[in-house]
Amino acid sequence: MSESAEVHALDPEAFEERVHSFQFWFEAVQGYLTDREYGHRPDAQDAELPESDRDRLVTVLCNYCIGETAALDGASGLVAVAPNRLTKIFLSTQVVDEGRHLEVLRHRLVELGVERPEEEIERRASPRLRDFRQRLEALVAERDWDAAIFAQNVILEAMEFSTFHMHTQYADPVTREVLVGIIKDERRHIGFGETELGRRLKHHPTLRDRLRRVRSELDPLVLATFEDAMEEIQVPRGERAELGRSYLGAVERLGVRT
Amino acid sequence: MSGQVAKLSSEPPRRKYELLDDTGFDEVPKKYRKFYRRWGGPGDVLAPNEVLCPVCKIVIRSNRELRAGDRVYCMACMARLRVVEGQDGALVADVEY
Repeated sequence: MSESAEVHALDPEAFEERVHSFQFWFEAVQGYLTDREYGHRPDAQDAELPESDRDRLVTVLCNYCIGETAALDGASGLVAVAPNRLTKIFLSTQVVDEGRHLEVLRHRLVELGVERPEEEIERRASPRLRDFRQRLEALVAERDWDAAIFAQNVILEAMEFSTFHMHTQYADPVTREVLVGIIKDERRHIGFGETELGRRLKHHPTLRDRLRRVRSELDPLVLATFEDAMEEIQVPRGERAELGRSYLGAVERLGVRT
Repeated sequence: MSGQVAKLSSEPPRRKYELLDDTGFDEVPKKYRKFYRRWGGPGDVLAPNEVLCPVCKIVIRSNRELRAGDRVYCMACMARLRVVEGQDGALVADVEY
């Protein structure tokens, strides 16, 4: 039986080898990025936004840039810490993804009329997200693989995944296209984080207590930041319960309850 | 052992499914796209050869009817999953680490 006849017949090692390869990444992103320029179709029409909406969107995008920068620095630092070839190669694809996210989000700020995006990002950055970024940097500097992957690929990525998904429902068409492309990358990142930690927890159950402590420390920073984003995007309060669902599902499956 | 063989052979044969090449799902290499489709939300009824990935909420498809105990892969989030019977008797996927 060939792989394309039934992909689920692959043995687990062959599957791992396949999906953690640059070849797989390249063929995957070709499907949704080939005809894009800075994350959206070149002929996508920008909507005229009222000034207050534009200003709120700029604040949200600036904070997304902080989150993506944290993930870019984190993933690139973790390549050196990764325990084996497959995790190193996967993380190197994640580095490329995060770099692209930062670039397209920054470009979107320029399209929205922001003349000095770096200054604006600094000015509008949420202190809690900055704090999270520093904590993640410290975990990477300490070469703490488990805690850093948990902070980055489970806490941060899952929250971004949910927030971006919700934002697409309220975004202008161009921003929506940019976010949809990012969400497609994020699926790989959250899946990698959960699988990697699930595997390590299976062999080292005592690790769970450490991850619980990391979660207690970092959860509030990320949750509050993305709740702020929901406020800026003006997501109705009744729908915000969805925000943490993907993240809470992951920590529940990993058994990392606080 | 012989009892197990008898039990297995008494199971009705699995239905086969011909998967369409293009489901509109563009997040995995072209040759694997037919094994996945987007989920339409809670109102989306899954076929007997489909199960939802609990990690990334993509519908995973097989060319045969799925049954509890089957292994499936979500290539969109790279999760390895085991098909199990949920509380309501419907098939769901559990992540295997």
